[in-house]
Amino acid sequence: MKRALALILFLFLTACGGNSGGGSAEDVELIVFAAASLQETLEECGALYREERPKVRLVFQFDSSGTLKTQIEEGAECDVFISAGQKQMDQLDRAAGPDVNTEGLDLVARGTRFDLLENKVVLTVPEGNPAGIHSFDELRAALEAGDILLAVGNGDVPVGQYTQRIFAFWGLDEAALNAAGVLTYGSNAREVTTQVAEGLVDGGIIYATDARSAGLTVVDTATAEMCGRVIYPAAVLSNSRFPGEARAFLEFLRTPGAGAVLESVGFTPLDN
Amino acid sequence: MDWFPLYNSIRIAAISTVLAFFLGLAAAWYTARLPRLAKGLLDAVLTLPLVLPPTVVGYLLLLALGPRRPLGAWLLDTFGLRLTMTWPGAVLATAAVTFPLMYRTVRGAFESFDETLAQAGRTLGLSDAWLFWRVRMPLCRQGILAGTVLTFARGLGEYGATSMLAGYTPGRTATISTTVYQLWRTGQDGPALRWVLVNLALSAGALLAVNLLERKEGRPWR
Repeated sequence: MKRALALILFLFLTACGGNSGGGSAEDVELIVFAAASLQETLEECGALYREERPKVRLVFQFDSSGTLKTQIEEGAECDVFISAGQKQMDQLDRAAGPDVNTEGLDLVARGTRFDLLENKVVLTVPEGNPAGIHSFDELRAALEAGDILLAVGNGDVPVGQYTQRIFAFWGLDEAALNAAGVLTYGSNAREVTTQVAEGLVDGGIIYATDARSAGLTVVDTATAEMCGRVIYPAAVLSNSRFPGEARAFLEFLRTPGAGAVLESVGFTPLDN
Repeated sequence: MDWFPLYNSIRIAAISTVLAFFLGLAAAWYTARLPRLAKGLLDAVLTLPLVLPPTVVGYLLLLALGPRRPLGAWLLDTFGLRLTMTWPGAVLATAAVTFPLMYRTVRGAFESFDETLAQAGRTLGLSDAWLFWRVRMPLCRQGILAGTVLTFARGLGEYGATSMLAGYTPGRTATISTTVYQLWRTGQDGPALRWVLVNLALSAGALLAVNLLERKEGRPWR
Protein backbone atom coordinates (compact mmCIF):
# COMPACT_ATOMS: atom_id res chain seq x y z
CA MET A 1 0.00 0.00 0.00
CA LYS A 2 2.76 2.40 1.00
CA ARG A 3 4.71 1.57 -2.13
CA ALA A 4 1.65 2.18 -4.28
CA LEU A 5 1.13 5.57 -2.64
CA ALA A 6 4.78 6.44 -3.13
CA LEU A 7 4.48 5.49 -6.79
CA ILE A 8 1.39 7.65 -7.25
CA LEU A 9 3.11 10.56 -5.53
CA PHE A 10 6.18 10.07 -7.72
CA LEU A 11 4.11 10.02 -10.91
CA PHE A 12 2.19 13.09 -9.80
CA LEU A 13 5.35 15.05 -9.02
CA THR A 14 7.07 14.11 -12.27
CA ALA A 15 3.93 15.06 -14.20
CA CYS A 16 3.87 18.46 -12.48
CA GLY A 17 7.58 18.90 -13.08
CA GLY A 18 7.02 18.30 -16.76
CA ASN A 19 4.63 21.20 -16.88
CA SER A 20 6.76 23.86 -15.26
CA GLY A 21 10.07 22.81 -16.75
CA GLY A 22 11.32 23.17 -20.30
CA GLY A 23 12.92 26.16 -21.97
CA SER A 24 15.59 28.47 -20.65
CA ALA A 25 14.93 31.49 -18.47
CA GLU A 26 15.24 33.80 -21.48
CA ASP A 27 12.31 32.25 -23.34
CA VAL A 28 9.06 34.13 -23.27
CA GLU A 29 5.67 32.41 -23.44
CA LEU A 30 2.88 34.69 -24.58
CA ILE A 31 -0.67 33.47 -24.06
CA VAL A 32 -3.02 34.90 -26.67
CA PHE A 33 -6.81 34.62 -26.25
CA ALA A 34 -8.53 35.32 -29.56
CA ALA A 35 -11.96 35.08 -31.16
CA ALA A 36 -12.59 31.70 -32.81
CA SER A 37 -12.91 33.42 -36.21
CA LEU A 38 -9.19 34.34 -36.06
CA GLN A 39 -7.90 30.79 -35.67
CA GLU A 40 -6.26 30.05 -39.05
CA THR A 41 -4.99 33.55 -39.76
CA LEU A 42 -3.55 34.15 -36.29
CA GLU A 43 -1.79 30.78 -36.31
CA GLU A 44 -0.25 31.76 -39.64
CA CYS A 45 0.80 35.15 -38.24
CA GLY A 46 2.26 33.29 -35.25
CA ALA A 47 4.46 31.23 -37.57
CA LEU A 48 5.70 34.45 -39.22
CA TYR A 49 6.37 36.01 -35.83
CA ARG A 50 8.40 33.00 -34.76
CA GLU A 51 10.86 33.73 -37.58
CA GLU A 52 11.14 37.33 -36.43
CA ARG A 53 11.43 36.65 -32.70
CA PRO A 54 12.39 33.01 -32.11
CA LYS A 55 12.63 33.53 -28.34
CA VAL A 56 8.89 34.17 -28.07
CA ARG A 57 6.63 31.16 -27.92
CA LEU A 58 2.98 31.95 -28.71
CA VAL A 59 0.24 29.89 -27.08
CA PHE A 60 -3.17 30.49 -28.63
CA GLN A 61 -6.59 29.81 -27.23
CA PHE A 62 -9.50 30.28 -29.60
CA ASP A 63 -13.13 30.37 -28.50
CA SER A 64 -16.12 32.69 -28.56
CA SER A 65 -15.10 36.12 -27.26
CA GLY A 66 -17.78 35.85 -24.56
CA THR A 67 -16.25 32.63 -23.21
CA LEU A 68 -12.75 34.10 -23.32
CA LYS A 69 -13.91 37.23 -21.52
CA THR A 70 -15.40 35.05 -18.76
CA GLN A 71 -12.19 33.04 -18.47
CA ILE A 72 -10.09 36.23 -18.20
CA GLU A 73 -12.51 37.51 -15.57
CA GLU A 74 -12.12 34.23 -13.65
CA GLY A 75 -8.35 34.76 -13.57
CA ALA A 76 -7.08 32.78 -16.56
CA GLU A 77 -3.43 33.47 -17.36
CA CYS A 78 -3.46 35.57 -20.51
CA ASP A 79 -1.26 38.27 -22.03
CA VAL A 80 -3.14 39.39 -25.14
CA PHE A 81 -6.89 39.46 -25.84
CA ILE A 82 -8.35 39.95 -29.32
CA SER A 83 -12.15 40.11 -29.21
CA ALA A 84 -14.62 39.86 -32.07
CA GLY A 85 -16.74 42.59 -30.49
CA GLN A 86 -16.18 45.81 -28.54
CA LYS A 87 -18.64 44.68 -25.86
CA GLN A 88 -16.45 41.90 -24.46
CA MET A 89 -13.37 44.19 -24.41
CA ASP A 90 -15.36 47.04 -22.84
CA GLN A 91 -16.40 44.70 -20.03
CA LEU A 92 -12.72 44.23 -19.13
CA ASP A 93 -11.58 47.81 -19.81
CA ARG A 94 -12.16 50.35 -17.01
CA ALA A 95 -11.19 53.16 -19.39
CA ALA A 96 -14.23 52.35 -21.55
CA GLY A 97 -16.54 54.08 -19.04
CA PRO A 98 -19.06 52.75 -16.52
CA ASP A 99 -21.99 52.53 -18.97
CA VAL A 100 -20.27 49.74 -20.94
CA ASN A 101 -17.81 48.51 -18.27
CA THR A 102 -20.78 47.38 -16.19
CA GLU A 103 -18.98 45.00 -13.85
CA GLY A 104 -16.18 47.48 -13.06
CA LEU A 105 -13.45 45.07 -14.18
CA ASP A 106 -10.02 46.64 -14.69
CA LEU A 107 -8.05 44.01 -16.59
CA VAL A 108 -6.89 45.84 -19.73
CA ALA A 109 -3.48 47.57 -19.54
CA ARG A 110 -3.91 51.34 -20.03
CA GLY A 111 -3.14 52.68 -23.47
CA THR A 112 -2.64 49.30 -25.13
CA ARG A 113 -6.10 48.90 -26.65
CA PHE A 114 -6.68 49.60 -30.32
CA ASP A 115 -8.98 48.48 -33.13
CA LEU A 116 -7.11 45.83 -35.08
CA LEU A 117 -9.48 44.59 -37.78
CA GLU A 118 -12.83 44.86 -39.40
CA ASN A 119 -14.92 41.89 -40.47
CA LYS A 120 -18.33 41.57 -42.15
CA VAL A 121 -21.43 39.66 -41.15
CA VAL A 122 -22.84 37.59 -43.99
CA LEU A 123 -25.69 35.26 -44.82
CA THR A 124 -24.49 31.85 -46.00
CA VAL A 125 -26.35 28.82 -47.30
CA PRO A 126 -25.33 25.19 -47.65
CA GLU A 127 -24.36 23.71 -51.00
CA GLY A 128 -27.35 23.68 -53.37
CA ASN A 129 -29.20 26.34 -51.30
CA PRO A 130 -32.08 23.97 -50.29
CA ALA A 131 -34.39 26.74 -49.06
CA GLY A 132 -33.64 29.03 -52.03
CA ILE A 133 -32.61 32.09 -50.01
CA HIS A 134 -30.69 34.67 -52.04
CA SER A 135 -30.67 37.79 -49.86
CA PHE A 136 -31.33 39.15 -46.38
CA ASP A 137 -34.74 40.34 -47.65
CA GLU A 138 -35.70 36.81 -48.68
CA LEU A 139 -34.39 35.53 -45.36
CA ARG A 140 -36.62 37.96 -43.52
CA ALA A 141 -39.66 36.80 -45.48
CA ALA A 142 -38.80 33.13 -44.87
CA LEU A 143 -38.34 33.76 -41.12
CA GLU A 144 -41.71 35.50 -40.96
CA ALA A 145 -43.31 32.63 -42.90
CA GLY A 146 -41.71 30.21 -40.42
CA ASP A 147 -40.61 27.60 -42.94
CA ILE A 148 -36.81 27.53 -42.56
CA LEU A 149 -34.20 26.68 -39.96
CA LEU A 150 -31.56 29.39 -39.51
CA ALA A 151 -28.37 28.84 -37.49
CA VAL A 152 -27.26 31.85 -35.42
CA GLY A 153 -24.85 32.49 -32.54
CA ASN A 154 -26.44 32.78 -29.09
CA GLY A 155 -26.68 36.11 -27.25
CA ASP A 156 -23.31 35.58 -25.55
CA VAL A 157 -21.39 35.33 -28.83
CA PRO A 158 -20.48 38.50 -30.78
CA VAL A 159 -21.84 37.09 -34.06
CA GLY A 160 -25.08 36.35 -32.18
CA GLN A 161 -25.22 39.94 -30.96
CA TYR A 162 -24.75 41.26 -34.51
CA THR A 163 -27.57 38.90 -35.58
CA GLN A 164 -29.81 40.29 -32.84
CA ARG A 165 -29.16 43.79 -34.20
CA ILE A 166 -30.16 42.64 -37.68
CA PHE A 167 -33.43 41.25 -36.29
CA ALA A 168 -34.02 44.51 -34.40
CA PHE A 169 -33.29 46.49 -37.59
CA TRP A 170 -36.01 44.47 -39.32
CA GLY A 171 -38.38 44.79 -36.36
CA LEU A 172 -38.41 41.03 -35.89
CA ASP A 173 -39.12 39.74 -32.38
CA GLU A 174 -36.68 36.98 -31.40
CA ALA A 175 -39.12 35.47 -28.88
CA ALA A 176 -41.72 35.11 -31.64
CA LEU A 177 -39.13 33.50 -33.92
CA ASN A 178 -38.26 31.06 -31.13
CA ALA A 179 -41.93 30.23 -30.68
CA ALA A 180 -42.04 29.41 -34.39
CA GLY A 181 -38.93 27.21 -34.02
CA VAL A 182 -36.97 28.77 -36.89
CA LEU A 183 -33.76 29.60 -35.00
CA THR A 184 -31.12 27.18 -33.81
CA TYR A 185 -28.35 28.50 -31.55
CA GLY A 186 -24.64 27.70 -31.66
CA SER A 187 -22.27 28.59 -28.84
CA ASN A 188 -19.57 30.06 -31.08
CA ALA A 189 -19.19 31.28 -34.66
CA ARG A 190 -17.41 28.09 -35.73
CA GLU A 191 -20.26 25.84 -34.54
CA VAL A 192 -22.70 27.83 -36.68
CA THR A 193 -20.29 27.58 -39.63
CA THR A 194 -20.09 23.79 -39.27
CA GLN A 195 -23.88 23.48 -39.12
CA VAL A 196 -24.13 25.30 -42.47
CA ALA A 197 -21.23 23.38 -44.04
CA GLU A 198 -22.79 20.04 -43.04
CA GLY A 199 -26.14 21.08 -44.47
CA LEU A 200 -27.86 20.68 -41.08
CA VAL A 201 -29.66 24.02 -41.51
CA ASP A 202 -31.07 26.11 -44.37
CA GLY A 203 -28.78 29.06 -43.70
CA GLY A 204 -26.57 30.74 -41.15
CA ILE A 205 -25.48 34.23 -40.14
CA ILE A 206 -21.71 34.19 -39.66
CA TYR A 207 -18.56 36.19 -40.43
CA ALA A 208 -17.38 36.69 -43.99
CA THR A 209 -13.99 35.26 -42.96
CA ASP A 210 -15.43 32.03 -41.53
CA ALA A 211 -17.55 31.59 -44.64
CA ARG A 212 -14.48 32.08 -46.83
CA SER A 213 -12.30 29.69 -44.77
CA ALA A 214 -14.99 27.00 -44.89
CA GLY A 215 -15.65 27.53 -48.61
CA LEU A 216 -19.33 28.37 -48.05
CA THR A 217 -21.63 30.20 -50.46
CA VAL A 218 -22.25 33.79 -49.33
CA VAL A 219 -25.55 35.14 -50.66
CA ASP A 220 -25.63 38.54 -48.92
CA THR A 221 -23.55 40.83 -46.70
CA ALA A 222 -25.00 42.84 -43.81
CA THR A 223 -24.58 46.61 -44.10
CA ALA A 224 -23.36 48.88 -41.30
CA GLU A 225 -26.97 50.18 -40.91
CA MET A 226 -28.17 46.65 -40.18
CA CYS A 227 -25.71 45.62 -37.49
CA GLY A 228 -23.08 48.32 -37.05
CA ARG A 229 -19.44 47.86 -37.95
CA VAL A 230 -17.79 44.61 -36.93
CA ILE A 231 -14.60 45.74 -35.21
CA TYR A 232 -12.07 43.46 -33.51
CA PRO A 233 -10.32 45.31 -30.67
CA ALA A 234 -7.00 44.04 -29.30
CA ALA A 235 -5.23 44.83 -26.02
CA VAL A 236 -2.54 43.73 -23.59
CA LEU A 237 -3.98 42.58 -20.27
CA SER A 238 -2.91 44.27 -17.04
CA ASN A 239 -1.73 41.05 -15.37
CA SER A 240 0.47 40.05 -18.32
CA ARG A 241 3.87 38.73 -17.24
CA PHE A 242 5.52 40.15 -20.37
CA PRO A 243 3.68 43.40 -21.23
CA GLY A 244 6.50 44.61 -23.47
CA GLU A 245 6.58 41.42 -25.52
CA ALA A 246 2.77 41.33 -25.65
CA ARG A 247 2.71 44.84 -27.04
CA ALA A 248 5.41 43.99 -29.57
CA PHE A 249 3.32 41.09 -30.85
CA LEU A 250 0.26 43.33 -31.27
CA GLU A 251 2.41 45.88 -33.13
CA PHE A 252 3.60 43.06 -35.39
CA LEU A 253 -0.03 42.31 -36.31
CA ARG A 254 -0.22 45.84 -37.81
CA THR A 255 2.76 45.31 -40.10
CA PRO A 256 2.14 44.73 -43.84
CA GLY A 257 3.34 41.11 -43.57
CA ALA A 258 0.72 40.15 -40.97
CA GLY A 259 -1.83 42.37 -42.68
CA ALA A 260 -1.51 40.37 -45.89
CA VAL A 261 -2.29 37.14 -43.99
CA LEU A 262 -5.33 38.72 -42.34
CA GLU A 263 -6.54 40.16 -45.64
CA SER A 264 -6.21 36.78 -47.34
CA VAL A 265 -9.42 35.52 -45.68
CA GLY A 266 -11.28 38.81 -45.91
CA PHE A 267 -10.36 40.81 -42.80
CA THR A 268 -9.72 44.53 -43.28
CA PRO A 269 -6.74 45.72 -41.17
CA LEU A 270 -7.51 49.11 -39.56
CA ASP A 271 -5.08 52.01 -39.11
CA ASN A 272 -5.59 54.08 -36.01
CA MET B 1 -42.25 29.93 -18.38
CA ASP B 2 -42.38 27.95 -21.60
CA TRP B 3 -42.73 24.28 -20.67
CA PHE B 4 -41.73 22.91 -24.07
CA PRO B 5 -38.28 21.66 -22.92
CA LEU B 6 -39.93 19.55 -20.18
CA TYR B 7 -42.39 18.00 -22.63
CA ASN B 8 -39.63 17.42 -25.17
CA SER B 9 -37.24 15.86 -22.62
CA ILE B 10 -39.91 13.44 -21.41
CA ARG B 11 -40.96 12.61 -24.97
CA ILE B 12 -37.37 11.93 -26.05
CA ALA B 13 -36.52 9.93 -22.92
CA ALA B 14 -39.71 7.85 -23.14
CA ILE B 15 -39.43 6.92 -26.81
CA SER B 16 -35.71 6.22 -26.58
CA THR B 17 -36.40 4.01 -23.55
CA VAL B 18 -38.86 1.95 -25.59
CA LEU B 19 -36.21 1.57 -28.33
CA ALA B 20 -33.47 0.72 -25.84
CA PHE B 21 -35.83 -1.71 -24.04
CA PHE B 22 -36.43 -3.99 -27.04
CA LEU B 23 -32.91 -3.62 -28.48
CA GLY B 24 -31.39 -4.22 -25.04
CA LEU B 25 -33.55 -7.32 -24.43
CA ALA B 26 -32.67 -8.75 -27.83
CA ALA B 27 -28.96 -8.01 -27.44
CA ALA B 28 -28.86 -9.48 -23.92
CA TRP B 29 -30.75 -12.58 -25.05
CA TYR B 30 -28.54 -13.32 -28.06
CA THR B 31 -25.15 -12.47 -26.55
CA ALA B 32 -25.86 -14.57 -23.43
CA ARG B 33 -25.90 -17.68 -25.61
CA LEU B 34 -22.78 -16.97 -27.67
CA PRO B 35 -19.46 -18.77 -27.14
CA ARG B 36 -17.17 -17.08 -24.69
CA LEU B 37 -14.82 -15.20 -27.03
CA ALA B 38 -17.56 -13.89 -29.32
CA LYS B 39 -19.55 -12.89 -26.25
CA GLY B 40 -16.64 -10.92 -24.82
CA LEU B 41 -16.03 -9.10 -28.09
CA LEU B 42 -19.66 -8.29 -28.76
CA ASP B 43 -20.15 -7.24 -25.15
CA ALA B 44 -17.30 -4.74 -25.46
CA VAL B 45 -18.78 -3.27 -28.66
CA LEU B 46 -22.31 -3.04 -27.21
CA THR B 47 -21.10 -1.41 -23.99
CA LEU B 48 -18.86 1.11 -25.75
CA PRO B 49 -21.47 3.91 -25.99
CA LEU B 50 -21.72 3.88 -22.19
CA VAL B 51 -18.04 4.64 -21.66
CA LEU B 52 -17.37 6.83 -24.71
CA PRO B 53 -17.81 10.56 -24.18
CA PRO B 54 -21.30 11.48 -25.47
CA THR B 55 -19.62 14.02 -27.76
CA VAL B 56 -17.81 11.16 -29.50
CA VAL B 57 -21.09 9.27 -29.94
CA GLY B 58 -22.66 12.47 -31.25
CA TYR B 59 -19.81 13.02 -33.68
CA LEU B 60 -20.05 9.45 -35.01
CA LEU B 61 -23.81 9.82 -35.46
CA LEU B 62 -23.29 13.11 -37.31
CA LEU B 63 -20.71 11.47 -39.56
CA ALA B 64 -23.25 8.78 -40.42
CA LEU B 65 -26.47 10.77 -40.55
CA GLY B 66 -25.59 14.28 -41.75
CA PRO B 67 -27.56 15.14 -44.91
CA ARG B 68 -24.22 15.38 -46.76
CA ARG B 69 -23.21 11.83 -45.71
CA PRO B 70 -24.23 8.74 -47.69
CA LEU B 71 -26.56 7.19 -45.09
CA GLY B 72 -28.08 10.53 -44.10
CA ALA B 73 -28.65 11.50 -47.74
CA TRP B 74 -30.26 8.11 -48.45
CA LEU B 75 -32.65 8.37 -45.49
CA LEU B 76 -33.61 11.89 -46.58
CA ASP B 77 -34.16 10.98 -50.23
CA THR B 78 -35.91 7.65 -49.66
CA PHE B 79 -38.04 8.29 -46.59
CA GLY B 80 -37.85 12.07 -46.23
CA LEU B 81 -36.43 11.29 -42.79
CA ARG B 82 -34.16 13.98 -41.37
CA LEU B 83 -32.38 12.92 -38.19
CA THR B 84 -30.25 16.04 -37.76
CA MET B 85 -31.58 19.12 -35.97
CA THR B 86 -34.91 17.35 -35.29
CA TRP B 87 -36.36 15.77 -32.16
CA PRO B 88 -36.43 12.22 -33.63
CA GLY B 89 -32.66 12.68 -34.06
CA ALA B 90 -32.47 13.42 -30.34
CA VAL B 91 -34.39 10.18 -29.70
CA LEU B 92 -31.81 8.25 -31.70
CA ALA B 93 -28.85 9.93 -29.97
CA THR B 94 -30.37 9.27 -26.55
CA ALA B 95 -31.17 5.65 -27.39
CA ALA B 96 -27.58 5.11 -28.57
CA VAL B 97 -26.15 6.48 -25.33
CA THR B 98 -28.60 4.72 -22.97
CA PHE B 99 -28.84 1.35 -24.73
CA PRO B 100 -25.85 -0.19 -22.86
CA LEU B 101 -27.50 0.52 -19.50
CA MET B 102 -30.52 -1.54 -20.51
CA TYR B 103 -28.45 -4.24 -22.16
CA ARG B 104 -26.08 -4.73 -19.23
CA THR B 105 -28.72 -4.78 -16.51
CA VAL B 106 -30.91 -7.19 -18.44
CA ARG B 107 -27.96 -9.43 -19.26
CA GLY B 108 -27.12 -9.66 -15.57
CA ALA B 109 -30.71 -10.64 -14.84
CA PHE B 110 -30.75 -13.26 -17.62
CA GLU B 111 -27.48 -14.75 -16.40
CA SER B 112 -28.82 -15.24 -12.88
CA PHE B 113 -31.91 -17.03 -14.26
CA ASP B 114 -32.05 -20.67 -13.25
CA GLU B 115 -31.87 -22.58 -16.56
CA THR B 116 -33.33 -25.75 -15.02
CA LEU B 117 -36.68 -23.94 -14.98
CA ALA B 118 -36.54 -23.52 -18.75
CA GLN B 119 -35.50 -27.15 -19.16
CA ALA B 120 -38.43 -28.25 -16.97
CA GLY B 121 -40.73 -26.17 -19.15
CA ARG B 122 -39.42 -27.79 -22.31
CA THR B 123 -40.07 -31.30 -20.92
CA LEU B 124 -43.66 -30.15 -20.51
CA GLY B 125 -43.76 -29.29 -24.23
CA LEU B 126 -43.75 -25.48 -23.89
CA SER B 127 -42.43 -23.40 -26.80
CA ASP B 128 -39.33 -21.20 -26.45
CA ALA B 129 -41.39 -18.07 -27.07
CA TRP B 130 -43.86 -19.06 -24.31
CA LEU B 131 -40.97 -19.79 -21.95
CA PHE B 132 -39.33 -16.45 -22.75
CA TRP B 133 -42.38 -14.26 -22.17
CA ARG B 134 -44.13 -16.27 -19.44
CA VAL B 135 -41.27 -17.75 -17.42
CA ARG B 136 -37.98 -15.95 -18.05
CA MET B 137 -39.33 -12.39 -18.26
CA PRO B 138 -41.45 -12.55 -15.07
CA LEU B 139 -38.61 -14.12 -13.10
CA CYS B 140 -36.14 -11.49 -14.33
CA ARG B 141 -38.58 -8.59 -13.99
CA GLN B 142 -36.67 -6.86 -11.20
CA GLY B 143 -33.57 -6.46 -13.33
CA ILE B 144 -35.56 -5.54 -16.39
CA LEU B 145 -37.60 -2.91 -14.56
CA ALA B 146 -34.55 -1.44 -12.88
CA GLY B 147 -32.76 -1.30 -16.25
CA THR B 148 -35.74 0.41 -17.85
CA VAL B 149 -36.07 3.10 -15.21
CA LEU B 150 -32.31 3.68 -15.19
CA THR B 151 -32.37 4.04 -18.98
CA PHE B 152 -35.22 6.54 -18.74
CA ALA B 153 -33.43 8.54 -16.01
CA ARG B 154 -30.20 8.68 -18.01
CA GLY B 155 -32.18 9.59 -21.14
CA LEU B 156 -33.65 12.61 -19.33
CA GLY B 157 -30.13 13.81 -18.57
CA GLU B 158 -28.59 13.23 -22.01
CA TYR B 159 -26.77 16.30 -23.26
CA GLY B 160 -23.66 15.71 -25.38
CA ALA B 161 -24.78 13.50 -28.24
CA THR B 162 -28.21 15.14 -28.33
CA SER B 163 -26.86 18.67 -28.60
CA MET B 164 -24.53 17.66 -31.42
CA LEU B 165 -27.09 15.77 -33.47
CA ALA B 166 -30.17 17.86 -32.74
CA GLY B 167 -28.68 21.25 -31.78
CA TYR B 168 -30.59 23.76 -29.70
CA THR B 169 -33.69 25.01 -31.49
CA PRO B 170 -36.21 26.56 -29.08
CA GLY B 171 -39.66 25.06 -29.59
CA ARG B 172 -38.32 22.09 -31.58
CA THR B 173 -35.27 20.33 -30.18
CA ALA B 174 -34.66 22.20 -26.91
CA THR B 175 -34.50 19.80 -23.95
CA ILE B 176 -34.05 20.65 -20.28
CA SER B 177 -30.31 19.97 -20.46
CA THR B 178 -29.65 22.03 -23.60
CA THR B 179 -31.89 24.81 -22.26
CA VAL B 180 -29.92 25.01 -19.00
CA TYR B 181 -26.68 25.27 -21.00
CA GLN B 182 -28.00 28.04 -23.26
CA LEU B 183 -29.47 29.98 -20.34
CA TRP B 184 -26.15 29.75 -18.51
CA ARG B 185 -24.18 30.78 -21.59
CA THR B 186 -26.34 33.84 -22.04
CA GLY B 187 -26.20 34.79 -18.35
CA GLN B 188 -29.84 34.11 -17.49
CA ASP B 189 -29.23 32.63 -14.05
CA GLY B 190 -32.80 32.80 -12.74
CA PRO B 191 -34.44 30.75 -15.52
CA ALA B 192 -31.43 28.38 -15.57
CA LEU B 193 -31.91 27.68 -11.87
CA ARG B 194 -35.63 27.04 -12.34
CA TRP B 195 -34.90 24.40 -14.97
CA VAL B 196 -32.19 22.89 -12.76
CA LEU B 197 -34.80 22.45 -10.02
CA VAL B 198 -37.28 20.89 -12.45
CA ASN B 199 -34.58 18.50 -13.63
CA LEU B 200 -33.55 17.59 -10.06
CA ALA B 201 -37.14 16.81 -9.13
CA LEU B 202 -37.68 14.70 -12.23
CA SER B 203 -34.47 12.70 -11.99
CA ALA B 204 -34.76 12.18 -8.24
CA GLY B 205 -38.30 10.91 -8.83
CA ALA B 206 -37.08 8.39 -11.39
CA LEU B 207 -34.31 7.13 -9.11
CA LEU B 208 -36.70 6.86 -6.15
CA ALA B 209 -38.93 4.76 -8.39
CA VAL B 210 -36.01 2.37 -8.97
CA ASN B 211 -35.46 1.98 -5.22
CA LEU B 212 -39.17 1.43 -4.53
CA LEU B 213 -39.32 -1.24 -7.23
CA GLU B 214 -36.38 -2.99 -5.61
CA ARG B 215 -37.84 -2.86 -2.13
CA LYS B 216 -41.20 -4.18 -3.27
CA GLU B 217 -39.55 -7.40 -4.33
CA GLY B 218 -38.46 -8.07 -0.75
CA ARG B 219 -34.82 -8.68 -1.49
CA PRO B 220 -32.15 -6.50 -3.06
CA TRP B 221 -31.80 -7.02 -6.78
CA ARG B 222 -28.61 -8.65 -7.94
